[in-house]
Amino acid sequence: MIANDPHTIFVCQGTGCVSLRSSAIQKALEQEVETAGLAGSVQVKLCGCHGFCEQGPLVAIEPEGFLYTHVKAEDAPQIVREHLRDGRPVERLFYRDPLTRSAVPYYHDIPFYKKQMRLIMRNCGHIDPERIDDYIDAGGYEALRKALLEMTRDEVIEEVSRSGLRGRGGAGFPTGRKWAACRRAPGEPKYVICNADEGDPGAYMDRSILEADPHSIIEGMVIGAYAIGASYGFIFVRAEYPLAVDRLRIALRQAEERGFLGDNILNSGFGFSIDIDRGSGAFVSGEATALVASIEGWSGEPRPRPPRTAEAGVWGKPTNINNVKTWAKVPLIIERGAEWFASIGTEHSKGTMVFSLSGKVRNTGPVEVPMGTSLRSLIFDIGGGIPGGKALKAVQTGGPSGGCIPAELADVPVDYERLTELGSIMGSGGLVVMDEDTCMVDVAKYFLSFTMQESCGKCVPCREGIRRMHEILVDITEGRGQEGDIELLEQMGETIIDASLCGLGGSAPNPVLTTIRYFADEYRAHILEKRCPALACKSLVSYYIEPSKCQACQICLRSCPVKAIGGGKDQVHVIDQAACTRCGTCFEVCPPRFGAVTRLSGMPVPVAPPLEERLVARAR
Amino acid sequence: MVSERKVGSVLVVGGGIAGMQSAIDLAESGFKVYIVEKSPSIGGHMAQLDKTFPTNDCAMCTLAPRMVDVGRHINIERLTYSEVVAAHGEPGRFEVTIRKKARSVDPEKCTGCGECTLHCPVRYEAYYPSLDVVEPELMHEDWEKVNTILNRYLHRRAPLIPVLQAINAEFNYLPENILYYVSRRLDIPLAHILRVATFYALFSLKPRGKHVISVCQGTSCFVRGADRVLERFQEVLGIGVGEVTQDKEFSLEVVRCLGCCALAPAIKVGEQVYAGVQSKGVEEILKGYTSR
Repeated sequence: MIANDPHTIFVCQGTGCVSLRSSAIQKALEQEVETAGLAGSVQVKLCGCHGFCEQGPLVAIEPEGFLYTHVKAEDAPQIVREHLRDGRPVERLFYRDPLTRSAVPYYHDIPFYKKQMRLIMRNCGHIDPERIDDYIDAGGYEALRKALLEMTRDEVIEEVSRSGLRGRGGAGFPTGRKWAACRRAPGEPKYVICNADEGDPGAYMDRSILEADPHSIIEGMVIGAYAIGASYGFIFVRAEYPLAVDRLRIALRQAEERGFLGDNILNSGFGFSIDIDRGSGAFVSGEATALVASIEGWSGEPRPRPPRTAEAGVWGKPTNINNVKTWAKVPLIIERGAEWFASIGTEHSKGTMVFSLSGKVRNTGPVEVPMGTSLRSLIFDIGGGIPGGKALKAVQTGGPSGGCIPAELADVPVDYERLTELGSIMGSGGLVVMDEDTCMVDVAKYFLSFTMQESCGKCVPCREGIRRMHEILVDITEGRGQEGDIELLEQMGETIIDASLCGLGGSAPNPVLTTIRYFADEYRAHILEKRCPALACKSLVSYYIEPSKCQACQICLRSCPVKAIGGGKDQVHVIDQAACTRCGTCFEVCPPRFGAVTRLSGMPVPVAPPLEERLVARAR
Repeated sequence: MVSERKVGSVLVVGGGIAGMQSAIDLAESGFKVYIVEKSPSIGGHMAQLDKTFPTNDCAMCTLAPRMVDVGRHINIERLTYSEVVAAHGEPGRFEVTIRKKARSVDPEKCTGCGECTLHCPVRYEAYYPSLDVVEPELMHEDWEKVNTILNRYLHRRAPLIPVLQAINAEFNYLPENILYYVSRRLDIPLAHILRVATFYALFSLKPRGKHVISVCQGTSCFVRGADRVLERFQEVLGIGVGEVTQDKEFSLEVVRCLGCCALAPAIKVGEQVYAGVQSKGVEEILKGYTSR
């Protein structure tokens, strides 16, 4: 009988689900458990991101592993009474396979989860991030005990080196080597920093881990600090992540109470403490030297290297900076061994990688897969394909520093080396899927407008060069492109990459260069034919109402914000091209069964039929 | 009568770009030139410009070589930190009185390393215009809040950014007179504070609306039509990005990724995140915040 067994209801309180009011659901469930008299056997807990944000708000029932999707507060009585009291799970709220329409009760059967290999996300969605005991019960802080009490500092570094772990922030520098350099560098005290300044637009897996399993990061940092000989740590979190900061504060306090942080950790004689530093909204502060400047209270501008931060970081002292995901992997490597970790992945890229899957894909969310998984498998097996029957066009990896990989190359296994070969980068794990409606010139322009605004302005190639490239792209998308623009863009891009001071400028032209490399036809169509093949660039697109399809329903006529549509009852509607602002409202509101509003690009708009031919004959 | 032989000397008043160029031209044509500049160094204001009209040349590239030329030309004598008090006579025979201010540094020995400015106990308080004109009167409680914030972070080694973050959160922006006060309390030059405050997107130097609307322009939101959502907000509120509505209720801003990409497009009103926002849903969201 299910009613008497202890159960835990996990209500997802990741940022996605919180924005869908999941805190109200938790309250409703708690109340319902109380009134149903199940308070003795059923616990309601919050948890971090499950990763399946598209289906949110999510509620999981453990220990069986039921997953309810799109839950509303009103569903609470049914979940508690039918499922937990009477033992009849609520089928209505199960995940439905988009193809077969069959209901899937358990999350481990859902393809989205089944095809993943969740290592650092193993606890995400399965523990309460605000309770340290949940983490300890899941095996947490065992690796710390092992490292501090059974291993020497050199052994820890050796273990991490042998595992083949590389920095998950994007550049992929071997972590063991980084630690060893910082350990050797003269100067006291030493610092370790967790870089949680996840600035890449389209990347949010760091946030998910911070919110769902903050202790794994703290544990990794303490182990790293022990190996390096550091006595202070900082976690540098983005300004836009208030929830992550709250959870980290709670976690740090609890870890200190339990003696996992402080003067004498686990009676080993090793002392280490962590402070949280919050960013203030500057993309470039994620760069190592800029991050250090930010912590020191300056504006976050990068400085030339050398010296590396391992030799002269915070206040001129040796400082080791690693990404959230890198730190979270450390406890696993210590606990399960370097050989185990090295057995996952490809030759030069070991372990798993967390991607945040977003854009034009059915299942969005952070996903963890072994290195070497193909983009196709990520998008179609885990991501469930492109919605609306559209075709995959390109995948953007690595944020504004990365590039666009065309659909033809989707079978390439993803690791650091392959992505670099393709002109993109691994980056911190953003993965934005684009379908046939996305214009690649427009995308390149978007990324440049991002880096243009986020450039700190310290060095000229980045500050001026990106601005000029952006101007050229604006001209191309607005129909003022000229022959020779493509070559000029390439030439400028290469110069900016060579001449910029830091990684921001050094990678900013990547989105332009890769789109030129793979989608040169699209650039040429814009420049030579003044045509946008994806029908996305406003200035090159005209809206046109097909007279043979228009049923004179007047919906578009009424919705047009600038009253550019003529016609009336029983009279085919016509767009006044001179008045049209190309906002696309008519295209959106035209009922799909008519589909009369079309977009044209690179061709003249047909002349409207004369007034007497515009009458729509209706059957009475 | 114009004589071929150059005689006498020339005094150039002002050591900016024009003065320096005149001094160089005159010195090159054989005159002895005195150049008077009231500030401690020649150079003038050009160094503050990014580039110059109409050629868009880099200002420093124009300025720096001339400063060097004036600095080492044997026919130019620099009278910096000096002011013209009086001039008598007529063209060809002027007599000028110049007051040289006390520099307290031996210019012959100074290498311009700048070390002394770092150790000077007297802080140069930067010029800050319109202190009492623009600023709303701050209540006694407001100053107490500022003091509480300052006391909370004073012990930190780098207190400035956390202090600015707390003030920005408390007042929704960084009021000028508070910055002035923070500068004195933290003993950090105002110029430095302003540099930090203008560098980071989080800080606003202008008052913002009661509800700050941030429309995410991250990649996923962009791909899923965030630009249309932003346009709709602009239409409905009648303001542009970075502006405040007349009734001070709303301000509109863009943000680079809220990390809510799975549910794009996302926006934030205050701290409340809305996911999957459509342009037609904009008015509905705003309705929840209008006090009417």
